Amino acid sequence: MPELIIALPKGRLQDAALARLACAGVRVNGAALASRRLAIADETGRFRFIFVKPADVPVYVEHGIADCGVVGRDVLLESAADLLQPLDLKIGRCRIVVASPHPETVMNNFGMLRVATKYPRIAAEHFGARGLPIEIIELSGSVELAPVLGLSDCIVDVVETGRTLAENNLSIVEVICESTARLVVNRASYQLKAKTVADLIRALGEGVRQETFA
Amino acid sequence: MSEPLSNIPRGMRYYCGTEARLRREVEDMAMSVFDGWSYEEITTPSVDYYALFEHGMGRQQAELAFKFTDTDGRLLALRPDVTSSVARAAATLFAGRERPLRLCYAAPVFRQKGQSHAEWRRESTHIGCELIGADGIEADMEVVAIAVEVLQRLELAQHDYCITLNDVEIFNGVAERHALDDSARERMRRLVDSRDAAELQNFLAPHASTDERAGFARLIQLSGKQETLAEARRLITNPRSVAALNRLEELWRVIESLDLTDYFEIDFGDVSGLDYYTGLTFKIYLSGAGTRVGGGGRYDKLTSNFGRPEPAIGFVFDLDALTDVLARSNTSVAMREQDGTVAPLSNDDPATLFFEATAMRAKRERVLIKSGEAVQCRN
Repeated sequence: MPELIIALPKGRLQDAALARLACAGVRVNGAALASRRLAIADETGRFRFIFVKPADVPVYVEHGIADCGVVGRDVLLESAADLLQPLDLKIGRCRIVVASPHPETVMNNFGMLRVATKYPRIAAEHFGARGLPIEIIELSGSVELAPVLGLSDCIVDVVETGRTLAENNLSIVEVICESTARLVVNRASYQLKAKTVADLIRALGEGVRQETFA
Repeated sequence: MSEPLSNIPRGMRYYCGTEARLRREVEDMAMSVFDGWSYEEITTPSVDYYALFEHGMGRQQAELAFKFTDTDGRLLALRPDVTSSVARAAATLFAGRERPLRLCYAAPVFRQKGQSHAEWRRESTHIGCELIGADGIEADMEVVAIAVEVLQRLELAQHDYCITLNDVEIFNGVAERHALDDSARERMRRLVDSRDAAELQNFLAPHASTDERAGFARLIQLSGKQETLAEARRLITNPRSVAALNRLEELWRVIESLDLTDYFEIDFGDVSGLDYYTGLTFKIYLSGAGTRVGGGGRYDKLTSNFGRPEPAIGFVFDLDALTDVLARSNTSVAMREQDGTVAPLSNDDPATLFFEATAMRAKRERVLIKSGEAVQCRN
């Protein structure tokens, strides 16, 4: 039995997350990683990694199937999962923004806004706080197309470099929040495996600090 | 078109077989422990005025109740908790009774939504007890000891469960020191609750010195035993928090003297239900359940909502979460099969058959009537 099961997001964040863990002394063997197995152990056998879609990381951790996980703040906010988030890993930095081909019409709209997004909860909360009623059009990809083709007035999406936005003639109207990857921990595991979890947080935190001051 | 009757509303379920027996066993065991500590069983109304729960649990929690209207138009609710009703009874019906009151219950409660996605049930059975009209370390320890006894009797492996302890006054002392208003206090509570030390430091930047910020941020991630208390003493100095630390340390000494420290952790990050609790809080975790399976604490303000302020402390176990874990584990409680097999009784003469059967029942033996013809069910 591994001491700790850690859920990692496949894709964009995976390599950066593994690098962070390696800094904390938790390493996986390259061959195992190259295989298509979705669950692999680290070199010591103390930890087991499971690789899942980013949006599924909070699900596995909230149910206690994984003790910890690495997940972007954007995904975490959207999931509204009841999790502990003791550490900002400072990787996968991006912003969650409102973008539109016509920023001024979005800011001067007091009636009803059509918002295309993969983040319906974040969008609803953001415009709700401003008191502006919106129609949410939930999409699963290529969100930038929606306002260009007239499906929506604006989008709520994550932006890393801003290139995709620019290429589709969208500009940022507002930044809702910054997002970086977080270490999340299941509430029960945090207590029942207190020592192992605390050691991992400390080791990871040390790595983050060293890099920040380097 | 009508909905198919096979559909069951979300969050509801049947129990049968081993699981049903396990539930009954755990409930009976817990109630016998309560009885052993001289707690008297109380059955509260399943349906009550919504206003009761609003006063008893706070609006945020009460809103999760299933609501409907009475014939006179007043808002009713299917009880989302038992404590509200017990507290009202203590302040009204039992106002004249000698203190302290020791009351216990096992009853289903209904909520439209759980705190986490993992809490999918909308009906769950609360097994709990309340000690009303008693204050101080003795009362706190009594309730904690009862919780431990129930856990011990589940025959789980050691390290498979843990009770976390905290005192909400530690947080309140810090909030008071920085003169936070209600919304700022709630924001700080959320940051502490999610153990977000970095964000907490940013949040406190306009309010506190660098050292103080770092100290408090460190404190909320601390979880441990005696050494945690010592560390907290170095980090926190405001008088309100220190008084709470003293109480916690006193309780810890008793736990230590009973050699029970293996079952406990001190967790300064546990700040849920801050508006409800007024002192000691505890949460119960079981290996195999991703969420807490129980919890409680001191709620000295609650009964004043019903016109009679007095100290009170209590806790509940979630029977369903508990039996879920037991059913999946290999503990002896789960594995114990119903004893003895029964030979079915049969006789062509019903009078003889039931003479025999009732005679066996008089000796408390198990009886199984073999039906003459098993009727096939037609679909």
